[in-house]
Amino acid sequence: MQYKTAIGIRRAIEAKEITAIEVLEHYLEVIKNKDNEIGAFLEVFENEAREQANKIDNMVATGQSLPRMAGVPIAIKDNMLYQGKVASAGSKMLEKYVATYDSTVVDRLKKAGAVIIGRTNMDEFAMGSSTETSFWQKTKNPVDVTKTPGGSSGGSAAAVAAGMVPVSLGSDTGGSIRQPAALCGVVGMKPSYGRVSRYGLIALGSSLDQIGPFATTPQDAALVLEVIEGLDVHDATSVELTETTASELIEENFNGMKFGVPKEYFVDEMDSEVKKVIEEAINQIKENGGTIKEVSLPLTEYALSAYYIIQPAEASSNLGRFDGMRYGTRALSDNLKESYLMARGEGFGNEVKRRIMMGAYVLSAGYYDAYYKKALQIRQMIANDFKRVFEEVDVIISPTSPCVAWGLGDKFDDPIAMYLADIFTVSANIAGIPGISVPCGTVHGLPVGLQFLAGAFKDGKILRVAAAFEQLKVNNS
Amino acid sequence: MPEIEFNVDNIAKLAMLDLTDEQRVLFTEQLPSIMAYVSKLHEVDTSEISSSAYLTDLVNIVQADEVLPSSEELRADLIKAFPCEKGDALEVPAIFE
Repeated sequence: MQYKTAIGIRRAIEAKEITAIEVLEHYLEVIKNKDNEIGAFLEVFENEAREQANKIDNMVATGQSLPRMAGVPIAIKDNMLYQGKVASAGSKMLEKYVATYDSTVVDRLKKAGAVIIGRTNMDEFAMGSSTETSFWQKTKNPVDVTKTPGGSSGGSAAAVAAGMVPVSLGSDTGGSIRQPAALCGVVGMKPSYGRVSRYGLIALGSSLDQIGPFATTPQDAALVLEVIEGLDVHDATSVELTETTASELIEENFNGMKFGVPKEYFVDEMDSEVKKVIEEAINQIKENGGTIKEVSLPLTEYALSAYYIIQPAEASSNLGRFDGMRYGTRALSDNLKESYLMARGEGFGNEVKRRIMMGAYVLSAGYYDAYYKKALQIRQMIANDFKRVFEEVDVIISPTSPCVAWGLGDKFDDPIAMYLADIFTVSANIAGIPGISVPCGTVHGLPVGLQFLAGAFKDGKILRVAAAFEQLKVNNS
Repeated sequence: MPEIEFNVDNIAKLAMLDLTDEQRVLFTEQLPSIMAYVSKLHEVDTSEISSSAYLTDLVNIVQADEVLPSSEELRADLIKAFPCEKGDALEVPAIFE
């Protein structure tokens, strides 16, 4: 099929060059051919997808005006509710949980005419950076199947990278969209906190979680974001937007823009070859009209510590509801306390238990002030640092991940090594600002991601910069 | 900063989690070192900083408590989605002896 992007597919359907059902059958065929090896999907919704595609074709046939994502296939992460479908969050705990309502993102996608093609694999309850903590299966990186796709939204990233779907949704609590996007060589964006409703998203860290798109181009990411963003009465943290993302208005140059490069992000721990690729990308931006300035985010080294206190604290509270009483499998015991312990003991995997225990610890009497409150104060300081830097520059440039995709299983038994994979992404969640990862080169054939960050609700700005960067690559190739 | 005393059994009880023997051994080894790693943040002076769980400027977002219509079908789905049901009701164990 010649149409590879969501925008291209939508246009071709409108121009009657192809039908929505032909587009869908193409992607179903790719999934059939590739997903046995990749393992990106937990379930493919063939019937519902065909129904929706037929609906779009009927609209075309009867001359109705088409909505923004008419006929565009999209995959959703397994933690987003789609009425009548299982949403397991990668966990045995929710093996049999069937959603009784649509999450706001699913509702908005349906109304925009998108064709929801299936749900994708993820780390259990989004806790992980390699998609390996999923109870269900391992997902492989389509670029090199011996490597991890990253995580926690590894299934959604791999699905786009393998051409099994043009766009997908992930959720990002500490880097779970941007990091797998970087490792799989696709575009992935975490919007500003409050931009996209989390109603119907199975919560991990409520002050950090955001839903965002994976795509092959920044323009497609902008299209998906425009469809899902904006105020929702069902999520009290969602915000009424004064400006939309405006995918058609994406400009394509860096003239007059100031870019900040935080010196703390070019740390010794970073892979030297990744560093070289990032520095080349920064040079390209400079040569094409961008002004580059070194900036300082002095608390960068503490962001990961603050994150791994706040997030487990919120997770331990959010996952309290999975007790076999309200959700999960009821454990049979005469003793009530024991039945809670058993249901949770059997339903959760190692990483989830580790984080729930960390959370319970930092929230416990005697440790609350020393850990949780301290982390919140550092969070405030980090947010203030970003505000200060964004008075000097428009956009911050950094690597997305300190390394390229590593071998499957390599960091699985070392939680701290796994947590360090998030070192460049967690700050954006801590500060509530938007971030996008775009492919910027390779090291030994494996993709390297470049991250752009901007001030809160400047999502359009990083999308425009990402588009300009993509254009540069096209011009240079 | 308080000294890290990490009794895995106590924390598991607090977190309402049954652990296998294997997990008990694993977490006894891993959790204190993770806590030692995150304790790095005690190097930062935060005495002048206030704390808030959220960073956005939103305050007191309220919504009218309205009863919205539902369907018998949805009611049945909700009951079915519950871990245990008895006829047309949700079943939970007794909490009083």
